[in-house]
Amino acid sequence: MKLPRLSVKPTLFHLLRRLPMPVIAILIGLVAGLAVWVVLDQVQSRAVERIFGRELSMRLDLRARESLIRFDQYMTNYAATTRLLANHRRLAQYLEPLFWFPGEEVDPIVYDEFRPFWLPDFFGRNALLAPSHVLLVDSRGQVREVYQAGDAPLPPELQGNVAQWLGAGDDMQTVLARFGDRPYLVVSDQVEDAGGYTMGSLLVVVPVDADFLTASEGSFSADRSAVALVDADEQRILASNEPQRLMPGTALSEWTDTYLVTSQSLPAYEGSNWNMLFTTFIPQQIVAKMSGKVVDFERNQRLIAALVFIAVFTLVIYLVSARLNKVLKRMTRFSQRALGIEQPGFQRGGNQLVLLEEWMQHFTSLVLRAREEMRRKHEHEMRETEALKAAIMEASLDSIVTLNRAGSVIDYNPTAERTLGFDRQTIIGTDFVRAHVSPTHRAIFVGLLQESNRRGNLGERPHARTELEAIRADGQVFPIEVSIVPIELDNERVYTLYIHDITKRKETEREIKGLARFASESPSPILRVNGAARIVYANAASQPLIAAWQTRLGGPLPERWCGQVRRALQDGGTYEEDDDLGATIYSLLFVPIQELGYVNIYARDITAVRRAEQESRQHQAELVHVCRLSTMGEVATGMAHELNQPLSAIVNYANGASRRLKSGSGDNETLVDAMTHISGQARRAGEIIKRLRALVGKQQPIRSVVDLNYLVREVCGFVEFETAKLEMQIEQRLWAEPIPVDVDLVQIEQVLLNLVRNALDALEECPVGGRSLVISTRRTDGRAMVGVRDNGPGIPAERMDQLFDPFFTTKESGMGMGLPISLTILEDHQGTIRAESELGVGTLFHVELPVAVSEAVAGQQGAPEAQPVTAEAPVRTERRMAEGMHG
Amino acid sequence: MSRDETVFVVDDDQAMRGSLKWLIESVGMRVETFDSAPAFLDAYYPGRAGCLLLDVRMPGMSGLELQDYLGRRELRIPVIIITGHGDVAMAVKAMKAGAVDFIEKPFDDEQLLNSIRKALQFDEQQRRLRARKADIAARLAELTPREHEVMAMVTDGKSNKEIAAALNVSAKTVEVHRARVMDKMRADSLAELVRLALIAGGE
Repeated sequence: MKLPRLSVKPTLFHLLRRLPMPVIAILIGLVAGLAVWVVLDQVQSRAVERIFGRELSMRLDLRARESLIRFDQYMTNYAATTRLLANHRRLAQYLEPLFWFPGEEVDPIVYDEFRPFWLPDFFGRNALLAPSHVLLVDSRGQVREVYQAGDAPLPPELQGNVAQWLGAGDDMQTVLARFGDRPYLVVSDQVEDAGGYTMGSLLVVVPVDADFLTASEGSFSADRSAVALVDADEQRILASNEPQRLMPGTALSEWTDTYLVTSQSLPAYEGSNWNMLFTTFIPQQIVAKMSGKVVDFERNQRLIAALVFIAVFTLVIYLVSARLNKVLKRMTRFSQRALGIEQPGFQRGGNQLVLLEEWMQHFTSLVLRAREEMRRKHEHEMRETEALKAAIMEASLDSIVTLNRAGSVIDYNPTAERTLGFDRQTIIGTDFVRAHVSPTHRAIFVGLLQESNRRGNLGERPHARTELEAIRADGQVFPIEVSIVPIELDNERVYTLYIHDITKRKETEREIKGLARFASESPSPILRVNGAARIVYANAASQPLIAAWQTRLGGPLPERWCGQVRRALQDGGTYEEDDDLGATIYSLLFVPIQELGYVNIYARDITAVRRAEQESRQHQAELVHVCRLSTMGEVATGMAHELNQPLSAIVNYANGASRRLKSGSGDNETLVDAMTHISGQARRAGEIIKRLRALVGKQQPIRSVVDLNYLVREVCGFVEFETAKLEMQIEQRLWAEPIPVDVDLVQIEQVLLNLVRNALDALEECPVGGRSLVISTRRTDGRAMVGVRDNGPGIPAERMDQLFDPFFTTKESGMGMGLPISLTILEDHQGTIRAESELGVGTLFHVELPVAVSEAVAGQQGAPEAQPVTAEAPVRTERRMAEGMHG
Repeated sequence: MSRDETVFVVDDDQAMRGSLKWLIESVGMRVETFDSAPAFLDAYYPGRAGCLLLDVRMPGMSGLELQDYLGRRELRIPVIIITGHGDVAMAVKAMKAGAVDFIEKPFDDEQLLNSIRKALQFDEQQRRLRARKADIAARLAELTPREHEVMAMVTDGKSNKEIAAALNVSAKTVEVHRARVMDKMRADSLAELVRLALIAGGE
């Protein structure tokens, strides 16, 4: 018995685990519904059957009774009609003359051919079947006249004396009689003649056959029910309304299988010669159909009820399981969040109830474990905190001393032992103030203690803190900084003292005070001015400077430096400016101290430095010249080539002319023409030479106002030969208006020439046709700009920084002085130069110069060589310059 | 010196062109000037008698490039290169490429004119040689393949018998072929036939 239980239970359990709640709900619902249905079906079916059976039999009884009533009614109709006939005037008139002698044996008069005079057709009128015989009987019961409607003979029982069928007195009598095997309805009533003499009785005989029964039931047998007259003793059918189905003479028991048979006695017809029953037959199948309908209907109802039950049950269980799911999820989340249980053992799917139960177990164990872990962790943390606290106490650079309320030492860390000199064991319990605070500062310490009380606990407000003098164990007095933190412990207040030895800090402060003397001792002037540019401090060395500024300590700075002070204070930047006072030159360094609103001015006598610089600038001018010469050398070579052209032409013209003259073939006109050519070419040569001279001549820098565009055109003219050699042209994108610049024409031309030549050198590496050199000029407010852009190979980024360093060159033949000298020249002109380059795209040199204050470009006496030489249509400014020169 | 010989001057410098034309025309030669190489190529057609005076330094198509172009097109006009001072390396290049002479600016008129005369003479010779070659080529074209073979062997110095053996024909037949070759080539002697063959074969 044990084994199967062990094997079944886990399987069932497993199955339950696997199936989700709704499925189980449906299953249980189905099973419960089925069970309910099966039980209900049995019970209810039986009950219904019973109820219905009762109902049915009642209804059948009712119907049988109705049938009987109808039958009875029908017979009553006969009775009524018979009474009408019996009391009819005609019959009375007929009987008036007649007299029937009592006891007289006579044969009755039989009418079988026609209807006698005394018998009007009342039956047909009253929708009754015509009687088979109508008899007139005398008062003794002797039949006197007989009317026979059909072929059927008068039953023998009615021949002769029929007194037994007559009613007593003048009562009507209706009797169901059996004559032979057939039932008859016999109705008798007393008849009188016109004089009111009782003659006898009228006897109406109607055979109760199928037609009679059918007529009695009228149209009410539509449901195939049948009626019959049955002999009660023999239980045999005598007549039925459906003789084809229910044959007369058959036993009643033959039909009980196929019909529901209801027999009733006919109590109203006493005096009958036999016991007859009125029987109703209702086919069993109709009964079955009716009961079947009811049962089916009932069953359907039950089925629907069962289905509704299943659905509702399943829904309820499903809702419960969904709720459970939610609960489980919430618990999962809770356990994850609150208890830190990562795997609460709950998976989705399956039977939630079982899962919940499992989960509860699992969860409980997890909670226990988590609690255990937390407890351990907490203990661990506590231990750590303790250790940490101990470590802090041990390692603290400050002396930490704890006092109780009374001021006695209760704790004393190792630093305190070192700093204050007492052994921990010795000091504990002694009064701290007496042991360590110097007598003059004891009041302060007590005040601090009270202050700390007022400030309250840790972290709320800064701790009470002060500096005072402490005494060591050996009696030595030294400065400390002490802060006191009161700590509230179970109804007791203790004080933790953090004591910091500040001997070193005090020394440092003294040092810093000493440092402040630097300024006053400095041999260079150092001044401090406030935001209003008033001198608030000046060291001894600044006396000459202050004197030169014609001011004093507390007085204002010279007007020209006030702006600088404001600027420095505003943006926090440091500015250095020269102040030339004639005999001496000072460099002034303005250093703002924004947070104090002061500016420190460090002055330096730089007279000697400036003088040296001036000398060096002169040297540089020499160097510029040397460099220009070397540049000239290169340019001159190109120009020599160029010079060859006009010279050769001249030689050719001259030779051609002399040949013609010798041979006498040339006419004058052509010869003159040749001469004109010769002089033209000679002029051309002369111009080339002029340009050369303009380049080579060494001149003192002379500033004059010239048009920057003119300079650019000049320079392009210098390199025409080289550009032709490179099969390219310089593109000039010049500013539409003249740009006046106040420059040394030759120097700036040299700068530009240098840049153009560099560009041309770079372009040599480019394929013919793809070379482009653009010189552009531009003017913004106060600046004139020249851009020299080539599409050469470009300069590597790492070389860009060195570009303007002397002797840095990438060329095989070159001193590396071109750009440094250009830079020097431009700096002399308050100009700038910068380069932008991208490998493979090209290089742009950008030169900026200040625009001349005077817009007048004319009148440049200092530059006779600057006369425009370009033969191509000179622009307006150039013409103006030329006029100026000639004038 | 025939009158339809022309001195073509190509120089980008207007003054140089004008002065050269002036100088060369003074000795009665015909001169046509062009300011660039393409301009010259447009006007020149092969076979024109004359010589070409070419400035090496020109924008666009340079003198050397034009010379190279003419060489590749088999336009055999003699070229005199005019160079500036110091362009010796370029002149050497031009000479290697087949220029007849180079002249350095500024130049001596006599030297230039001599150079031109020499060039024109050279041109005439060349033209004559080319004409003769064409004539011989036309005669050669008249020969049958067999006659070609016979002529090749004859000019190689082979005897009739050797030719007959090589061609597997009778000596008589070779005799007939040979006579027909002499006739078609209009050669009076074997020596002349050999000379014609040399001219036709040589460049």
